Amino acid sequence: MSDQRTQVGVPVLRRDLYAKVTGAATYTVDVSPPGTLHAKVVRSSHAHARITRIERDAALATPGVVGIVVAEDLKDLFPRFGHIVPDHCILAIGKVRYYGEPVALVVAESLFAAEDAAAAVEVHYEELDAVMTAGDALADGAPLVHEEFYRAATDESFAAMAAAPTEDGDGGARDNVAHTVELEWGDVDAAFADAHLVVENERVHYPMLYAYAMEPYNAVADFRDGRLHVTSTAQHPFMVRTDLARIFDLPLSRVRVEVPYLGGGYGSKSYTKVEPLAAIGSWATGRPVKLVLDVEESIYTTRADSADVTVRSAFDAEGRIIAREFDVVLDSGAYADNSPLVLAKTVNRCFGPYRVPNLRARGRSVYTNTSPASSYRGFGAPQGSLPGELNIEKAAAELGLDSFEIRRRNLVRPGEEILRGKRGIDADLLGDLEMLANSLQSHAREDSAIGIGFTASDAGAFPVSTAQIRLQVDGSVLVLSGSTEMGQGSESALAQIAAEELGVPLDAVSVAQSDTGTGPYERTTGASRTTTLAGLALQRACTEAKQKVVAMAAEVFGLPEADIASVPGGVQVADRPRVPFGEVISRWFGAAAGEVTGVGLVRREGVTQKMPPFWEVGVVGVDVEVDPDTGAVKVRQLATVADVGFAINPRAVEGQDLGAATQGLGGALFEELIYDGPQLVNPNMVEYRVPRMQDLAERIDTMIAERGDGVGPYGAKGAGEGTLNPMAAAVAGAVAKAIGRWPTRVPLTPERVWRLMNDLPEEDGE
Amino acid sequence: MADGGELGRTVRANVNGTEVSRYVANRSTLAQFLRDDLGLTGTKVSCELQVCGVCSVLVDGSPVSACTYLAVDIDGRKVETVEGLADGDTLHPLQQAFVEEFALQCGFCTPGFLMMSVALLRRNPDPSEEDVKEYLDGNICRCTGYRPIVEAVQLAATRMREDGHV
Amino acid sequence: MLGTFTVSRPTELGQALDLIGEESLAYWGGTELFLAMKMQLLMPGNLVDLKGIPQLREIRMSGDELVIGAGTTHDEIATDPGVRGAAGLLSSVTSRVGNSRVRAQGTIGGNLCFAEPRSDLATVLLALDAMVQLQSSSGERRLSITEFLLGPYWTAREPEELLVAVCVPIPAATGVYLKFQFTERPSVAVTAVVSDGGQPCRLAIGAVADVPALHTAESWDEFDAASIAAGIEPVPDLTGSVTYKRHLTEVLVKKAIAAVRAGERDG
Repeated sequence: MSDQRTQVGVPVLRRDLYAKVTGAATYTVDVSPPGTLHAKVVRSSHAHARITRIERDAALATPGVVGIVVAEDLKDLFPRFGHIVPDHCILAIGKVRYYGEPVALVVAESLFAAEDAAAAVEVHYEELDAVMTAGDALADGAPLVHEEFYRAATDESFAAMAAAPTEDGDGGARDNVAHTVELEWGDVDAAFADAHLVVENERVHYPMLYAYAMEPYNAVADFRDGRLHVTSTAQHPFMVRTDLARIFDLPLSRVRVEVPYLGGGYGSKSYTKVEPLAAIGSWATGRPVKLVLDVEESIYTTRADSADVTVRSAFDAEGRIIAREFDVVLDSGAYADNSPLVLAKTVNRCFGPYRVPNLRARGRSVYTNTSPASSYRGFGAPQGSLPGELNIEKAAAELGLDSFEIRRRNLVRPGEEILRGKRGIDADLLGDLEMLANSLQSHAREDSAIGIGFTASDAGAFPVSTAQIRLQVDGSVLVLSGSTEMGQGSESALAQIAAEELGVPLDAVSVAQSDTGTGPYERTTGASRTTTLAGLALQRACTEAKQKVVAMAAEVFGLPEADIASVPGGVQVADRPRVPFGEVISRWFGAAAGEVTGVGLVRREGVTQKMPPFWEVGVVGVDVEVDPDTGAVKVRQLATVADVGFAINPRAVEGQDLGAATQGLGGALFEELIYDGPQLVNPNMVEYRVPRMQDLAERIDTMIAERGDGVGPYGAKGAGEGTLNPMAAAVAGAVAKAIGRWPTRVPLTPERVWRLMNDLPEEDGE
Repeated sequence: MADGGELGRTVRANVNGTEVSRYVANRSTLAQFLRDDLGLTGTKVSCELQVCGVCSVLVDGSPVSACTYLAVDIDGRKVETVEGLADGDTLHPLQQAFVEEFALQCGFCTPGFLMMSVALLRRNPDPSEEDVKEYLDGNICRCTGYRPIVEAVQLAATRMREDGHV
Repeated sequence: MLGTFTVSRPTELGQALDLIGEESLAYWGGTELFLAMKMQLLMPGNLVDLKGIPQLREIRMSGDELVIGAGTTHDEIATDPGVRGAAGLLSSVTSRVGNSRVRAQGTIGGNLCFAEPRSDLATVLLALDAMVQLQSSSGERRLSITEFLLGPYWTAREPEELLVAVCVPIPAATGVYLKFQFTERPSVAVTAVVSDGGQPCRLAIGAVADVPALHTAESWDEFDAASIAAGIEPVPDLTGSVTYKRHLTEVLVKKAIAAVRAGERDG
């Protein structure tokens, strides 16, 4: 069967790349309908303060200014958003909760006018005590970030996530805990009491990160005649539509969210961001409004949750895990956004793809007066695996095992459950481990310091996907999908699947994506779901279209359907020549016109009944060298294994993996948003240091393991974030070997490593 | 020097081989001028601090960050942007190599990488891997992990030397 | 976003000197100035574009000096055969300043006048005993780098003065330039050079304190890296604390001296 496949599993040049190299590709920032006004956000200059007065007269007098919107203008709307807990004010209501929070929106004829006027809006504040760290926020009597309770979002799939304090909740006193998660099985206390060895890593810190999708958040909104049309940088246009419909009390059918090419997402463009701001600007002025954030504003809009995790593991004499215990605290910033889900995933992913007979993992997501945290590539897995995997490495050292051997003794075998009652692992981690070991060890040097990391992520991909395929009378094919092309190559992969299923040339297939007004529903573009779930929906759409063509051919030829065979590119009757799709369509309609639509639907049923629909594993290793004089870490070898089931386009998979690994190296070695008092000290790309070309590892080996063990098309499953997830853990493990000390936080900047090597405190004291 | 006192001026420049003449405000950056006035939206803007390289274009053959360059300063000069690279439907060898080597994913940084690579190959038609890394180190890509970009630039350089491409 | 301003475009030096002042700032590439203006740190009412004055872009030998026009870009200096021959170290350092766009647009004069404390050029020019030439409508003067640089973003240049050239004595001292750079700008830079005139051993330490510092001696043996490092006042920032930067300084001083004693020469 597999050797008959011609369009998938082969390296195909990605079609979107042609438009992107000529500058012709359209991104949201390139969209400017005629008559568009420009908006600029007035932002809070305090971390926590009551707004006492907003003076806009001077700003309104600026030539070119059309309107200035503040929270009190939104009284007739639902003035907040949030898909889990709708706590997020479009414009601050009553008080600001973080430095940089939107307070007013200036709309003007030109960007110059909008910016000039924004500087003239005077906001008066009465400062409140702020909680700048999770520790401060959890202290007794800490000031509250949110005094009020919120009505939980009603979406069934998020209902469990909204166990956070809501007005429907237990009525307990409000505190700064936004959400809690607990996971437990077995008898943890007994196991620890019996242990041969107990290993602990205390308060391991994973930093606040900025995804730096190079295209900052932006949106164009046009509200007129009771309809809202938004073009935006949204990974999940259908989710954004839900938030917008609630704000304006519109039916979903009157809200259209369109997403052209995204200039990077990496999770940071999940869910609603700037769309409500642009929309209220248009609602207030009656004209299209464009809002383009800069990088600093984008950093205020979303960052990744930082984490402090304490882990303790119990081992038997053979080095087998008998129990693990985790305490996770996430600093989730001023609004919940997706942090409840990030927390749930951190808890699910912290203990790793190991046989853990007794587990207790407790997590709290905490509100602070910092910029709101939400999804970022791999969410939860990097935060959880840094402590989890470092702890395994520490245990290996104490047990006298090497990094590979301790994992051989503990990794789950194919099909084994990681989470009780959930889908068993659909990957061969031991096979992956041997690939990784071979690659790294065969190029190791005498002084190599090799660190490895393993993660398994229960993909947060709730199976609600639809796809449409439209067979055209000229033989060409149109694929409609709600999945966003954000650089991951979905446009190309979906075209390959359609070409394979229909038996038509790849060039005959066009793909249109992410338009809630004209295209089919897709729940999200996240959690590496597109190939698996959108791909399955597309396969089903192709099947339906082919069945329809068979039925039409039966009518046309006056034969029973059983006599018509569906063959690549068309139908066949007995040993007569193949009749192409277009000809069947044309003959059935009786004109060179018409088309056939196939629809494919995926829900929690059949192969996608059991959650998660797939596991995304992360298998990485690095070989590092530490400069004894400066503490600078250099990556000699980078090896990754992408256990993807089946690679629709192998080159694209490798590309995604190296990209994810490189972002992971950023978090491991360089990247960290740093607060000093109420403000970030490095909300810019000069001081927020990301990986550069000269940081490239000397040797890179991106391997792909294809064992056809996914539920997606041809055995495929999600890819593209796995190699980020355990990267910080692998680097920290390698550095530990190089310097003989256990890191307690990343990024491992030169100074941090140098201090560790020399047993110096983390910072200069007084 | 008679133009002091005005908040803008009419600039005449050659942009991708076409003579353009437009009145532009002094405060307009070259990136704003290209995108908003000329509709050449291929040039993107990201960090706005000259460190990401996304907005790189060539002015009189020399690379500049269009986010931090005054539009009025192109008067009398030649500007090259990503839209000017292809010859009709034929991609420039760098564009072709970027596609073939998967040297881009989201594509937002790509116009800047391409223009910097053009500048590099003009001064050094046979760059070593180190030369490429050094010259392009001031351009950030968040998707690819860079290796495919190095490979694409070297592939294009080889082809351009073989074809006598200028 | 930039505020509003007017632009003057003199074509002769005299015109430029009449135009510049407190509210009327000169620029070439604008790589530093426009950033400061975007951040509203500077809000001049008028800019004076110096790109139309050819003499400011000249590189020439004048007696026992290499004279580099203030409007010469880093790239032009790095690739100029004359500079390479007469002051190889300077050539080498300018090829490693900033990124390739900054090297193509940024100028030696702009770099010095902006007085960014982590400037590579200031450190190497200090070691090379360079002088800056300032000119105004009422006259001209020459200052050493030490006299010129008064502090971070602060120089001895009066608002109506223009830095017109940088003069490097030739044959220039030769040596090595080492820096530890983790982000956009170096945390510490050390250059060790051997000079024909005056004291033969010269060590300049830059990027780490408010202004670069020079140490000279008859012999390399006279330098003690630890006490030199202990004597500097590092500015702590995200690239390093005081303790770490002192340590880096000591490391780089040792390495630079060892390299130059071993006969290594940059450029």
